[in-house]
Amino acid sequence: MCLAIPGQVISINQSAKPITAKVNFSGIIREVVVEWIDQVAVNDYVIVHAGFAISKLDQQAAFETLQLFDQFDQQQE
Amino acid sequence: MDHSLDTAENSENLKRFVIEPVSRVEGHGKVTLLVDDNNQVQQCRLHIAEFRGFERFIQGRPYWEIPILVQRLCGICPVSHHIAAGKAIDMISGVTELTESAYKLRLLLHYGQTLQSHALHFFHLSSPDFLFGFESDLTNRNIVGVIQKHPELALQGVKLRKYGQEVIRVICGKRIHGTGCIPGGMNKPLSREDKHYLLGDTEQMVAWAECAVKTARDCYLANEPFHKNFAGLRSNYLSLVGNNGELDLYHGKLRLKDANGNLLFDKKDYCDYQNLIQEEVKSWTYMKFPFIKTMGKESGWYRTGPLARVNNCDYIPTPLAEIARQEFVAYGGKEPVHSTLAYHWARMIEVLFSAEKIKQLLHDPMITGTDLIVQGKRQSEGIGVVEAPRGTLFHHYQVGEDDLITKANLIVATTHNNTALNESIRMVCSQQINGREISEKVLNNIEVAIRAYDPCLSCATHAIGRMPLKVEMRHQQSGELINRLSKDIDGTLHR
Repeated sequence: MCLAIPGQVISINQSAKPITAKVNFSGIIREVVVEWIDQVAVNDYVIVHAGFAISKLDQQAAFETLQLFDQFDQQQE
Repeated sequence: MDHSLDTAENSENLKRFVIEPVSRVEGHGKVTLLVDDNNQVQQCRLHIAEFRGFERFIQGRPYWEIPILVQRLCGICPVSHHIAAGKAIDMISGVTELTESAYKLRLLLHYGQTLQSHALHFFHLSSPDFLFGFESDLTNRNIVGVIQKHPELALQGVKLRKYGQEVIRVICGKRIHGTGCIPGGMNKPLSREDKHYLLGDTEQMVAWAECAVKTARDCYLANEPFHKNFAGLRSNYLSLVGNNGELDLYHGKLRLKDANGNLLFDKKDYCDYQNLIQEEVKSWTYMKFPFIKTMGKESGWYRTGPLARVNNCDYIPTPLAEIARQEFVAYGGKEPVHSTLAYHWARMIEVLFSAEKIKQLLHDPMITGTDLIVQGKRQSEGIGVVEAPRGTLFHHYQVGEDDLITKANLIVATTHNNTALNESIRMVCSQQINGREISEKVLNNIEVAIRAYDPCLSCATHAIGRMPLKVEMRHQQSGELINRLSKDIDGTLHR
């Protein structure tokens, strides 16, 4: 199973076609399309599938999810 | 099949690749082609980052937490996992039948999810390949190109998806990780205001979904001889089917058809899945390979998802989607439709079914009912199965007397399709590779074949819809590297 970790938007390129954003996934920066989520802003958390941000998470939900991943990783070690 | 190379070269690295959060989003999709002395591709391996230990992670958590927990971790199709886990937890709560209103709300949620997931996949990820050609310039072969060349079509796709998301939002709340399913039912009714809000657009959605079926069909038929054989496989098909043989994505019995369309089994209770399906482990990947026990692993693999469901059902219980299904079945003739690219056509038939189903449900007076919870006698085990957008999804839990999960087992759609994915890539390579050279065309075509299955690929954050892909050709016996080609997210090629 493929698990989706939230990434945080660090900048948005409004003039790109389609509109893209640089997103930080635990230290890895990726450019993703944000055309399909409403009113994305810097610092928002997003879930990305195949290069498209498919949903936005509020900060609390993102933290809760990231915390789960931390627990998950600790268990693996 | 030769298994002599079924050993990871460096198991330490493999493990790290899978576990580290960084590599979770870093990865190129990786394909290894194993060729014989005559340069014939004997085997293909698609390496998908897979989480091992997820089931263990769930152990020790209270069972009522599970529907929320799984949707947090599986953010690509949270609603499908939420509902499958919800069904399993119903069973643990001793509830075998929901109230009518709770059942219908779950259906509404599930069809909203299917609508939005399928629309996203076809319009945003796949339609550019068909509208512009598999080989066309990457700068146009994306949704922006579609908006420029086919603005109406793109707009319909965007709005169909948006509508599905709105259905989910009114039931689950604003956060995608809101709640809906609770043990034995649903946690809040649908308000009259929300019902009327959704009802306002149903006719339009059904009309656009009809257009979507035509678009997918016309794209496929426009180059039928090529599309038919592209990554084509003859396979078995597994899906849930409703009690009367109808297409039902929420509940039903398991049906398996062979490549000729004959029933291999039917009306099997999914709680008995462990007697039907076995999972093979291979050393080069953490992703398992399920197969039908009685048939064995060589011939017992199967496909799930839209193609399997539309091939397997006897009819679709909504009028327009049924007309579309009949046309699809007529195209297949005496056999199921086997073409891998026909997945897209079948997927849009399900979009139409979902739109019609949502309309039906919203017109049903019970949809706003407030009697939403049933209680039962606590059981020690629960199994929930749904037809998720990508295929049959199994959730299975055992619970101790302290309410904590003691054992969990999940089989997701991408795992069911694992053998088929590898075989489809092999077909593309056999058809298109001459000699020892991997061309850019082959790379593009592998990508199109993978995409047909809509695998959940959250781990590889493919920028701008471009799949970063690394293909290696190795000698089947010696493992010697013969050729390789990789494509970065910006489209740059490396040898």
